[in-house]
Amino acid sequence: MNATPSMIETTSLIKKVNTSEGSLQILQPISFSVNAGQTVAIIGASGSGKSTLLGLLAGLDEVSGGEIFLDGQPLHDMDEEARARLRGEKVGFIFQSFMLVQSLTALENIMLPAEIAGLSDPKGRAEKIIAQVGLEHRAHHFPNQLSGGEQQRVAIARAFITEPKILFADEPTGNLDSANSQKVEDLLFSMNADLKTTLILVTHDDELASRCQRQLRMHAGELSEVTEPLKAVAGGQ
Amino acid sequence: MGLSFSLAWRLFKHEARRGELTIILLAIVLSVTSVLSLSLFSERLQQALTDRSAEFIAADSQLRSRTPVPTEWIEEAKARGLNTAFQISTRSMVFAGDELALSDLRAVDDAYPLKGLVKLTDTPFGQGFETQEKPQPGNVWIDSRLIQLLGVEIGDLIEVGDASLRVDKILSEIPDGGFSVFNTDPMLLMSDADIQTTNLTGAGSRVSYKHYFTGDAGDIEGYYDWLRPKLDREIHRWQSIEDDESPIGQSVQRAEEFFLLASLLAIILAAVSIAVAAQRFSQRHFDPVAIMKTLGASKETVRQIYLIQICFITLLGILLGITIGYVLQEAVVALLADSVPVSLNTWYWRPLGIAAFTGITCALLFSLYPLMQLFSVPPLRVLRKDIDATLSSRALQFVFSGSAVFLLMLFYSGDLKISAILFASGIALVLSLIGMTYLLIMLGRKLGSGGMGAWTLAWARIRRRAMGNSVQLISFAITIMLLLVVLVMRNDMVQQWRDQLPEGTPNYFLANVTESQKQGLVASFDRNNIEYEKFYPVARGRFVSINDESIRTEITKEDEDPADDGRQGLGREANLTWSTVLQYGNEIKEGQWHDNWQEGEPTPISIEEEVAERLDINMGDVLTFNVGSEQIVATVTSIRKIDWQTLQPNFFFVLHPKAMENFQATYITSFHLDVDRKSEISALMAPFASVTLFDVDARIDQIREIIDQVSLAVEFILILVLVAGGLVLIAQVQASMDERLQELAILRTLGLKGSRIRFSVINEFLIIGVVAGLMAALSNEFSLWLLQTNVFQMPPSLHMEYWGIAPIAGAIVVGLLGALGCWRLLSLNTGTLLRKMV
Repeated sequence: MNATPSMIETTSLIKKVNTSEGSLQILQPISFSVNAGQTVAIIGASGSGKSTLLGLLAGLDEVSGGEIFLDGQPLHDMDEEARARLRGEKVGFIFQSFMLVQSLTALENIMLPAEIAGLSDPKGRAEKIIAQVGLEHRAHHFPNQLSGGEQQRVAIARAFITEPKILFADEPTGNLDSANSQKVEDLLFSMNADLKTTLILVTHDDELASRCQRQLRMHAGELSEVTEPLKAVAGGQ
Repeated sequence: MGLSFSLAWRLFKHEARRGELTIILLAIVLSVTSVLSLSLFSERLQQALTDRSAEFIAADSQLRSRTPVPTEWIEEAKARGLNTAFQISTRSMVFAGDELALSDLRAVDDAYPLKGLVKLTDTPFGQGFETQEKPQPGNVWIDSRLIQLLGVEIGDLIEVGDASLRVDKILSEIPDGGFSVFNTDPMLLMSDADIQTTNLTGAGSRVSYKHYFTGDAGDIEGYYDWLRPKLDREIHRWQSIEDDESPIGQSVQRAEEFFLLASLLAIILAAVSIAVAAQRFSQRHFDPVAIMKTLGASKETVRQIYLIQICFITLLGILLGITIGYVLQEAVVALLADSVPVSLNTWYWRPLGIAAFTGITCALLFSLYPLMQLFSVPPLRVLRKDIDATLSSRALQFVFSGSAVFLLMLFYSGDLKISAILFASGIALVLSLIGMTYLLIMLGRKLGSGGMGAWTLAWARIRRRAMGNSVQLISFAITIMLLLVVLVMRNDMVQQWRDQLPEGTPNYFLANVTESQKQGLVASFDRNNIEYEKFYPVARGRFVSINDESIRTEITKEDEDPADDGRQGLGREANLTWSTVLQYGNEIKEGQWHDNWQEGEPTPISIEEEVAERLDINMGDVLTFNVGSEQIVATVTSIRKIDWQTLQPNFFFVLHPKAMENFQATYITSFHLDVDRKSEISALMAPFASVTLFDVDARIDQIREIIDQVSLAVEFILILVLVAGGLVLIAQVQASMDERLQELAILRTLGLKGSRIRFSVINEFLIIGVVAGLMAALSNEFSLWLLQTNVFQMPPSLHMEYWGIAPIAGAIVVGLLGALGCWRLLSLNTGTLLRKMV
């Protein structure tokens, strides 16, 4: 056992899907662990299985074999209801397509996880955090009234409102231009640092990946540690 | 629960404000509005028509009795809050100097009539006008025929029994005067205060006592329940308007069935639109549900949020629907008030309840399956947009929607039979439609392969969304079919009503025409250009026995009760006619019509089926009549069904002319004289003083007026259903347009010309319209056949014209709506289109 507790620990994790030509294994047995507070990038080409792995690690999908422990809890043994409870308590999410509820305002979107988790004063928390992402003047706007960058900042605020132990980010800057990407990245990493959240970031952007402490590469369903530096990028904040 | 409620409320509030709930709200509003306005209107109309038909018995209910009725029975009615009136009637000779005539005496109290009005006329056989007055003691009102027979004028005294009474006014009509070509004596209306002095009601006289009742239907029913055990079938007879089998009664009843049908169809239309809208609502919420689940919301929370939201939507829809429905119906009533008899200023809870129930049932049961789909959306959708709901069971959807429709039908009609027929045929329809749709789509596959033309694109789209399109096709087809059914039923029904009383329907009947007068009358009619009907020979016979068993009971009670209408026909005294030609409106049900009778065979007689049933007369039975001092013996060789809805003289017994060779016949006939030639009648009939003349103009006008009003009301209902159907079509096109959004955006982005996209979409809708129209025409025939034979008791008919009209109309309407929807989408620039997709 490590001195630092593992936030994620997988053993021989596999995923199979049924296709018209029979069962297809899209994740080869994967075993790795992520320490609490660590920032990890999973990189790889489209279709390599990054998002599948993310879905399993976050408890959005069911494993076909192997084990996953999230903060010591056996995700592989839980049903959807238990996983949902765990997600509500410990997990935050940021998606490429923002995934805001279109018919809720920016503020209400941010409040949503706090409400679901039953935290006290979700509105007060949301107001505080929306100011942190610099969007207090857009609090009552609906997602379609916000720019992509703004929407992703709302999503970041929503992800952090419950102060999750672990944050999953799926191509968080994939839909943004470079100026907005930079802003969002900075925000993500600074808030993450403040709250000491474990970050699992899926991306095919090496530059973004290099801002994480650790990089894992996904290739044809196999995960491997990246030992070589990805690019000569040293933070650059 | 608090979280679910506040989230549901927030979602509802924002979505309503942002117009995202418009379609589903509109669908609920539409269902509630159409059901409320339809049922409220038809309830009011029915009430008005019932009131109208109540006029024919001058009350809501009548108690007839051959002996005076115990006073406590009437006291009880009054105690129950019923209005009562009284009439005593008998037949007696009245005298004026040397002239005398048998007349139908009616002595009434001040309350009579409770429904309808007495009509007077200024000159004999003149146009009648309504009056509120009643004959005062000492006075009588006598009808034109009695004036003619007695040769009296206003102010003259006539003797009625022991009383000497003054002729005060000329009576034109009383509401419950009845109508019979046979045995109707001229009428005399007097005050019941004078009946004692006439001494006509003593022992041995044949008197009929009539008590009239009006009041709340429930009160009357309660009273009848109280009264029923006390009634003696031999003496008493209870009559309500529901028992009315006259042409008017039947027309009203059929109209009510039509309203019921129209409303049921409106409910189904509304249900279809809700089903479409709920499906769309559910699909729009796949993402939010996936997000909430990802963020840790439990299934239960998601379920609560959306069920509460649907409740909010339903509630708002019902409130809006009720308001709009009420205003709409109020407006229509105001517009039609002059031409259609609707009872105003009444509020009925039943329609309100039905409308609300429809809204709730439709909204909940039809959204149940889409919601269950919604609940099943996995959280993984946040990562993979292509993941849809995991629940997919069409069977479940059919079960939910099917039970919703059936429940509504049953609740609305309260009639298991009609509901079951409509429902079963509906299921058969949907199944065959699904089969046909697949077949057509498969066929189209062959047609639609080739280059990238507008037609190819259209077929390609139809093919690719086979299931979605089959649902869409079915809903278009059902909508068009329902509209066709309502349209055709209305046409057939109105036509049948009009056929009952075509222009030139005889408005005068003549009876007691002798052989010699017959020639004179025919000559006179021809000379004066008057259309007349056949002369039917009539002989009064006394029905003596069936197969040597003598008859004790009377065939009808007409002898005691002159107020019965012609339907009742004859008493133990039977009017016999003879002919070898089967009368119009008669149909042989059993045996053979006696036009081939051969000398030497027993004398044949044809008998009407209901009399045959009542008297238990069967084929081959031997009937004996006394005519004068002679006896006629005839064998039943046929049993006829008579269409009582034609205003023709009809006969229970028709003999072969051979049997009547030796008897002196009198004739009855009828003719038509335009209202503006009414003044000629006296001169026309003067040479034939002994012939009895009946003026039935007023009666015919009354029937025609009611038929016109009912037709107009039916027309209104048709328009309402058409509007509802139109809205459903729009909702469907709108919903399917959204599904096309993505494809349009992509095609547009790829640089396909707007005109080609437009054409392809229009073509797609044209194809769907034609196919839906064709399927609608086919299923229309099936449903109509079921309805006509099982519900409306009408002869079934084919409607070939709609085989052409339906596909063309379908193509035009659906194509046009598609074009409009598409225009709106294509007027957006590509950027907006792409944004809308997200």
